[in-house]
Amino acid sequence: MESLTNAYICRELIRKPEFQLKNDTLLLESKIIDSVALLKLVIFLEKQFGFVMHPEELIPENFKTIDAICTYVRSKQGK
Amino acid sequence: MTTPYLLHQLLTETARRSPEQTAVTFGERSLSYSVLDTLTNQLAAVLRARRVAKGERVGVYVSKSLASVVSIFAIMKTGACYVPLDPSAPTQRLAYMVRDSGIKALLTSTMKTTAIQDMFPHDCPLSTVVLVDCDLPAEHTSIPSPMPAGVSVVPWNEIIAEPATPLTELAVETDTAYILYTSGSTGAPKGVMISHRNSLTFVNWAGDCVGLTSADRVSNHAPLHFDLSAFDIFASCRAGARIVPVPEETSTFPIELVKLIERERISVWYSVPTALTRLVLYGNLDAHDLSCLRTIIFAGEVFPTKYLRKLMAALPQARYLNWYGPAETNVCTFYEVPELDPDRTAPIPIGKACANSEVFAVNDAGDKVTRPGEAGNLYVRGPSLMQGYLGRPKETAKSLVRNPFNTLFDELVFITGDIVTLDDNGNYVFLGREDGMIKTRGYRVELGEIETVLYGHPAIDEVAVLSIPDEILGNRLCAAIRPHENATLSREEVVAFCSQRLPRYMVPDLIDFRQTIPKTSTGKTDRVNLAHTFSKQ
Repeated sequence: MESLTNAYICRELIRKPEFQLKNDTLLLESKIIDSVALLKLVIFLEKQFGFVMHPEELIPENFKTIDAICTYVRSKQGK
Repeated sequence: MTTPYLLHQLLTETARRSPEQTAVTFGERSLSYSVLDTLTNQLAAVLRARRVAKGERVGVYVSKSLASVVSIFAIMKTGACYVPLDPSAPTQRLAYMVRDSGIKALLTSTMKTTAIQDMFPHDCPLSTVVLVDCDLPAEHTSIPSPMPAGVSVVPWNEIIAEPATPLTELAVETDTAYILYTSGSTGAPKGVMISHRNSLTFVNWAGDCVGLTSADRVSNHAPLHFDLSAFDIFASCRAGARIVPVPEETSTFPIELVKLIERERISVWYSVPTALTRLVLYGNLDAHDLSCLRTIIFAGEVFPTKYLRKLMAALPQARYLNWYGPAETNVCTFYEVPELDPDRTAPIPIGKACANSEVFAVNDAGDKVTRPGEAGNLYVRGPSLMQGYLGRPKETAKSLVRNPFNTLFDELVFITGDIVTLDDNGNYVFLGREDGMIKTRGYRVELGEIETVLYGHPAIDEVAVLSIPDEILGNRLCAAIRPHENATLSREEVVAFCSQRLPRYMVPDLIDFRQTIPKTSTGKTDRVNLAHTFSKQ
């Protein structure tokens, strides 16, 4: 899950497929995620990992890093 | 005093009338109108002492903060005009604007000084940088990045040591107040010059339309280089209302934005529809108390009726206003949205002319549109019309033309290029553009500007840029590229090339390399065919 998400972010959001992105890089502070990128990412995650995000889950804590994203997605799949 | 005829007189008037009223709040910090008046006098005095003369262009390069409001009023108090530089644009683009407008003095903050070296080319030297650090605590130890040689840096403590005496007024209402850069179809952004009179025409009408009072708390969501900010800042100042700048990062998560509205008890909100759509979809409105919002205004693009309806259902106590007008005229028509029919899908009208503005549509035969259903190009008449595009007399003459319907004297009218029709109630309804300009998330984009930039790449022989509508992401920009024979070009390279020259919202989302770009029978690029191909992706 981490590597799929990492690859997506590099390819579609940063738009540099060869970019070396760490799973604990702060995505918001490094401006990788802005409002448009965030929505694209959510659409990708929902499709790829088969869940539906609730509006109150679109919070900075769940998108801090790739690790945080995966923790969130796993919690949705567990339900 | 007499009725204010210059934008900063709105500030001095309000400061005189209600000095203790809060003018701006940003996070934990606030400035009263009297403190804002004093700070701007001090800053203006320093600028004038550093030779900022009437009519000069002074750059403002700050993120949303107290500094953004302080900077623009201070610059206008010297008789100069402010040029807001998009804090998120690539430095190359900013360097173009700096050179184009001849900026020699720049207002910024210690936190933002890193990019400045690259913004000022050798042929357009920077002489003065002023650090408007009113947002930083007095004991801050941050040091700005080093400046190019020959640049004098004025620290904030020098500003606040200045006497607060107001400067002698040198400007008249027809002097330029600010210059807003907008996408240019020929490949470079063009500066829309707005005079004090142009801006006040809108500000006076807008304040009355909304019924702004000193009890209001008005968000400032739009960046300074968007003309929406003129309402947030100047109309609020006129009424003695409180301005609440919204930090850029807060907009990323709609829930953060909703919390800010709730926390600051925002009463009037003005933004592009995209921001409101995101609030509706992801802001969890029902779980927050937004009863403070009494008026919601939107402009800049069509608001999909289904999301507007959801917003109105979630916040039924508010008034909803659709404002329309290009940067060249600011808002010239308005429409108050009534309760919507549950099965209405058609976009809402742009409405009727604002006070002190006149609009009319001209059909292909050159006659004014008078019957419902008839279509024409929308023209605007009145004192809100820009002075022109800075340094572009030919382009200016194409859009600011002699009014063909005035036989008494010569006057200018602005051709918007927006095709409109009339409905049965005399409201204008937007139909589309006559050219290659599109809106994406409220941003104005000339497809031609992106094409011209791409043609600048040595490995690109032919290119067509088009847009595919997307409800949530705005328009998706698609580029069909025919690379030079035998050249190897990757999507990554194209994206990097664009990112150095264009703001993020103008970098194509989809890129297709092709051996031929399809043509219609008349030899033009077959954009319909291309659009079909891209829609399937």
